[in-house]
Amino acid sequence: MGEGVAIMNYKHLPIPRPPSLRKRKLFAGQIAPQTDMCNDVHQGRKNSNFYEIIKFLTLILFLLPLPARAQDEYSFDLSEIEKEIEKKPYTIGGYLELTPKVFWLDHDAAFYRLNFYDRQEKDYLDEYNVKLSMNGGYTKGISEIYIRSNINRTESGIDPGTDVTIDEGYLSVKPSSTLNISIGKKVMKWGKGYAWNPAGFTGRPKNPDDPDLALEGYIMATADYIKSFSGPLKVIAVTPVIIPVYDHVNTDFGVRNNTNYAGKLYLLLYDTDIDFMFLKGNSRPSRFGADFSRNITSNFEIHGELSYINDITKKTIDSSGTITQSTDDAKSFLFGTRYLTESDITFIFEYYRNGTGFTSEEMEDFFSLVDDGFTAYRSSGDETLLKKARTMKEGSYGRPNPMRDYLYLRISKKEPFDILYFTPSVTCIYNIGDKSFSLSPEILYTGITNFEVRLKAGFIAGSENTEFGEKQNDYRAELRLSYYFDAVQ
Amino acid sequence: MRKIIIALLIVFMATPALAVDGNSLLLQIDRNLNPDSYEAYKKLINIEPNGKKKEFVLFTVKKGKDKVAAMFLSPASEKGRSTLRLGENMWLYIPNVGKPIRITSLQSVVGGVFNNSDILRLDYTSEYNVEKVEDMGGQYILHLKAKAKTIAYDKLKMWAQKENLVPLKLECLTEASMLVKTIYYKDVKDFGDGIVRPAVIETDSPLYKGYKSVMIFAKMKARELDDEVFTMTFMPNLDSLR
Repeated sequence: MGEGVAIMNYKHLPIPRPPSLRKRKLFAGQIAPQTDMCNDVHQGRKNSNFYEIIKFLTLILFLLPLPARAQDEYSFDLSEIEKEIEKKPYTIGGYLELTPKVFWLDHDAAFYRLNFYDRQEKDYLDEYNVKLSMNGGYTKGISEIYIRSNINRTESGIDPGTDVTIDEGYLSVKPSSTLNISIGKKVMKWGKGYAWNPAGFTGRPKNPDDPDLALEGYIMATADYIKSFSGPLKVIAVTPVIIPVYDHVNTDFGVRNNTNYAGKLYLLLYDTDIDFMFLKGNSRPSRFGADFSRNITSNFEIHGELSYINDITKKTIDSSGTITQSTDDAKSFLFGTRYLTESDITFIFEYYRNGTGFTSEEMEDFFSLVDDGFTAYRSSGDETLLKKARTMKEGSYGRPNPMRDYLYLRISKKEPFDILYFTPSVTCIYNIGDKSFSLSPEILYTGITNFEVRLKAGFIAGSENTEFGEKQNDYRAELRLSYYFDAVQ
Repeated sequence: MRKIIIALLIVFMATPALAVDGNSLLLQIDRNLNPDSYEAYKKLINIEPNGKKKEFVLFTVKKGKDKVAAMFLSPASEKGRSTLRLGENMWLYIPNVGKPIRITSLQSVVGGVFNNSDILRLDYTSEYNVEKVEDMGGQYILHLKAKAKTIAYDKLKMWAQKENLVPLKLECLTEASMLVKTIYYKDVKDFGDGIVRPAVIETDSPLYKGYKSVMIFAKMKARELDDEVFTMTFMPNLDSLR
């Protein structure tokens, strides 16, 4: 391959681009804020402010691609570049992110009733989030300390407040290129799925609506041992993990006072990434998994992932509020592909079978419970059923995509209309079981150095007693402005 | 008869120029461009028709014919991203995403004219055979043909300086000889340890009218590297090589 020569196969790319009581609803409610309610005291003033902000941000958005400073040729000074690339023992960086959101509420949806039955009725919710994410590292010899933390301020009619979290903070030692040992809080993502990772045993679940979001890690001790070979087996990597769960340590991982052991074996075999993984311990049921990923051609990738969970306990609730516990093995799997067309459109498609998910009947029972509970509350003020439903919502019923069979499709087009660094996309998550779905168009612009603008909307379609049909919101709009900085350079 | 003999003599005298071993010549050009195993820094500049620029700085390492990796040092929005190429396998690691993902070679991680293979370049000889060499006096013109259908450009036409065997210009062509991209090698610089090569590479394309991309090399030096550096598991740790 030549210097500066693209590997694009232009033989096939001749035209590259420069740069009941309830309504039956279509496009209804999405992504319920997972919070308890509180009274909205300044709604009118905030609404007015909100529209001002939206107008202002929209103006910024449309002005972004325009800056045209007449600069002729580039110039450079090698000594300046050499200063720029000088390595320092420490790093400090991060990003500041402003995210105004608005949710148009669906008064007839189960999750709206569950969240708002004891609150003032609203037509929409506005939320403003400011996040400062900072990361820093210090390297000395073969050791490195790294920390990543967030300060998150949310102004909202339902759950205002400030959170400070340390997402990662660990010490790693790299005695050689074959060995890396780490201890501390670390994000560890396993699996090849883009939207879901049934084999992600050591991490927190992704939000399929925004799978690339940075997540919080768990406190662990881990190592990577890598060995390369020539021949069809090119690489073997072994990753053992120890995850303790005690008071104040990984309390949300599972049952406390246990030490859990996990491991992953990675192989690059016949140009295919293959992983085998397990988790064993008493905090969570034991589980085993595997995944693979392979490029079929230079623009076509396939991947798959599966997991087997031993004796997992599932809690369901029926329409009368009776909770049933059952224990069974669960098998989950995912198949997916990534395909890039000649016109630079990327398709990511996945099918996900969630072995721990609810059936349509089980979800219908839950929605009926909310319905009956709401009727009882309205007629007699009795909250018993709704409180039971709320408790179950905080568990499995309220998680993203709680059911069994899903399809995911994301289509993105790089730099259309000659606008460099501009990427429009649309994402659809389809629930095969109840035929409801969400549709999220999005535009992303990264043309200004260290500045990123993302405008995203959410629509959903689904009839009564379906996953998306019963979401809290009808529609959603979100603007995310991010500014990245490097305090050392 | 005498005319025939003279004609034959002219043909035979001309033969030595045609007898240049093109593939050996290309290998020599490869070695003059970079050592077999090395580290370097690259600054990429995308220049739009209105003069607007976007710059990226990368640290890159390469070993042998099929192993190359790079990590973005700036801008801050890209810092820590790394890419790995092992033959035709490519991966991208984004710190926020937290795990390497397999990517196709047709994608671009920086936007603009550069794509993944501009960053993860392999030797010419690993992907092309020399079909013909023309001796133009002070320059050679090498006509290269892709070894496989999966390779980006079916043909390359390379102008190389005879004196120092470094490229001056490269035209990237489709199978139907349509020009896709022209690359200009400029500013030959002594990087030390016998590495004397162009420090600047400019790229333009009739398909990207008015756009230009520039790659500036700095601190290139030969370096012995472990094979394990070129693995998916090592990607988040590339910075430890600096």
